Amino acid sequence: MTREWLYHDKESFLLKLKELLAAGTPPERLTIMTPFHVHEVDHLLHLKPSPLKIFTLIGAAAGLAAGWGLTIYTSLDWPLRTGGKPIVAIPAYVIVAFELTILIGAIVTFGAFLFLGRFPVLKVITGGDATEAQFLIQEHREEDE
Amino acid sequence: MSLGTYYQNLETDVLAAMRKPSTLYWVALAFSGALFAMGMGLWGYQIMTGIGASGKMHPVGWALYITNFVFWVGIAHSGTLISAVLFLFRARFRSSFNRSAEAMTVIAVMTAGLFPLIHLGRVWFFYWLMPYPNQRHLWVNFRSPLVWDVFAVSTYFTVSLIFFYTGLIPDLAVARRHATGLKRWVYRVLSLGWEGKPNQWNHYNQLYMFLAAFATPLVISVHSVVSWDFAMSVIPGWHTTIFAPYFVAGAIFSGTGMVITLVVPMRKILGLEKYITIDHFESIAKILLFTSLIVSYAYIVEFALAYYSGNVFETAHFSYRLLGDYRYFYWMMLLCNSLLPLTLFFKPLRRNLKYLFILSIFVNIGMWLERFVIIITALAHDYDPYNWGNFAPTLVDVGIDIGSFGMFFMLFLIFTKMLPVLSITEVKEHAE
Repeated sequence: MTREWLYHDKESFLLKLKELLAAGTPPERLTIMTPFHVHEVDHLLHLKPSPLKIFTLIGAAAGLAAGWGLTIYTSLDWPLRTGGKPIVAIPAYVIVAFELTILIGAIVTFGAFLFLGRFPVLKVITGGDATEAQFLIQEHREEDE
Repeated sequence: MSLGTYYQNLETDVLAAMRKPSTLYWVALAFSGALFAMGMGLWGYQIMTGIGASGKMHPVGWALYITNFVFWVGIAHSGTLISAVLFLFRARFRSSFNRSAEAMTVIAVMTAGLFPLIHLGRVWFFYWLMPYPNQRHLWVNFRSPLVWDVFAVSTYFTVSLIFFYTGLIPDLAVARRHATGLKRWVYRVLSLGWEGKPNQWNHYNQLYMFLAAFATPLVISVHSVVSWDFAMSVIPGWHTTIFAPYFVAGAIFSGTGMVITLVVPMRKILGLEKYITIDHFESIAKILLFTSLIVSYAYIVEFALAYYSGNVFETAHFSYRLLGDYRYFYWMMLLCNSLLPLTLFFKPLRRNLKYLFILSIFVNIGMWLERFVIIITALAHDYDPYNWGNFAPTLVDVGIDIGSFGMFFMLFLIFTKMLPVLSITEVKEHAE
């Protein structure tokens, strides 16, 4: 059996959520959907901060390494002195390394978001629309209760 | 009015903008599309006949195409500024402009990205700019600012596109609910099946914050790299250390001008007066004024550096810029970029939308002229008098330039009918 509450405003929604949690409803039985991020929900459900930042760090570090690797490797692969600069001209390569840090960092962060949030959510795409227009609480109960 | 009704009105108002285009819209779309087609046609003509179809030749080898490249990259910048920087600073008026500004960024970078290709004599070899293993065993020259540009601009395009799309995800879920038929399916897929569950929001917020944090230094680096295309050379008027901050401020200035040019009519035509208020415009006018002051300061510093250096070539160049063949362009530029924006010190003018719209067009013209003046005067008049010469654009040059404006406005018009033009999610959040 599923009980459902729909609210148009954040305050009544939060009151109901607090009430349910105070009554001892385990959070994993609740499905909550909100039209925008409600920070209080994170506190009430004791959600851990997203681990996305670890992926961001890995992506950025990989991009930095790729930037230095690409510029230095290609310069040494065919050493050709131009513009009176050294073969491995570090200050000039800072730019490529910087751009690739951001590029790969951003792409990996977005990929990690898809992975962590389990996107795309196929069941919503193929049919049952989500009701994220309003503040929704669903309580799922065992059949025998 | 209760919040629930406000939310519903907001959704219908913003999404109503996406229904049934008016005749005026079709006319505007057809006009800009025709300009774009003309530009592409002329590019085709240039490819067929050779690069001589353009007026750029010795000594002015970089001319209108590069002017346009720098202009459009500059326009792109304030999109990121309004989105990312104002997000990090938690400026609330951002939510009225951020979607149009982000769309503007993506579209302007697409437009800008065409110009280095148009500028090439043999465009079919453009992929030589990419480092890839090849049978000639050659790599690109990473010490060259032109290769930095390839990396900077393509990174900028990719990251702005991801940032734009990320901001759209929850709004596409709203659009999905209101749409019917095939459109509904498109929005369903594009929204990735967004539900608005707490853990989704949790990851989403982190993602948005990191993308904003990436985009902010990126926007500064991209226009710095564009400025180094010039500053790394030894040409008087280009070879100066102030170029990077000068170009970045100019980019934000011109982009803010373009946001006003786009949003004033958009707000009126789509009936979004309730959500994009005069207060919001006043805030953005302040950014315009502030960046105009920085740009004017940079103009003064350029001259001061040339004078203080005592270098005969530098001083000769700057007196040529002020009084030489292109003086009218330079004076017009000073009028548009430095003098007219000073009127924004008066509050009634900051809050007058008609005035802001007209001023923003002057700013667009002024910033285009700034790039024109920097590029053309420096090349036309370098060290050796035997190497001096003036630039005369051909119809192909001018036609392709106008075509780029056609492309930009055409894509922006398509955007206003395909995607929510306001960030519904954020406006709801701030309505609390």
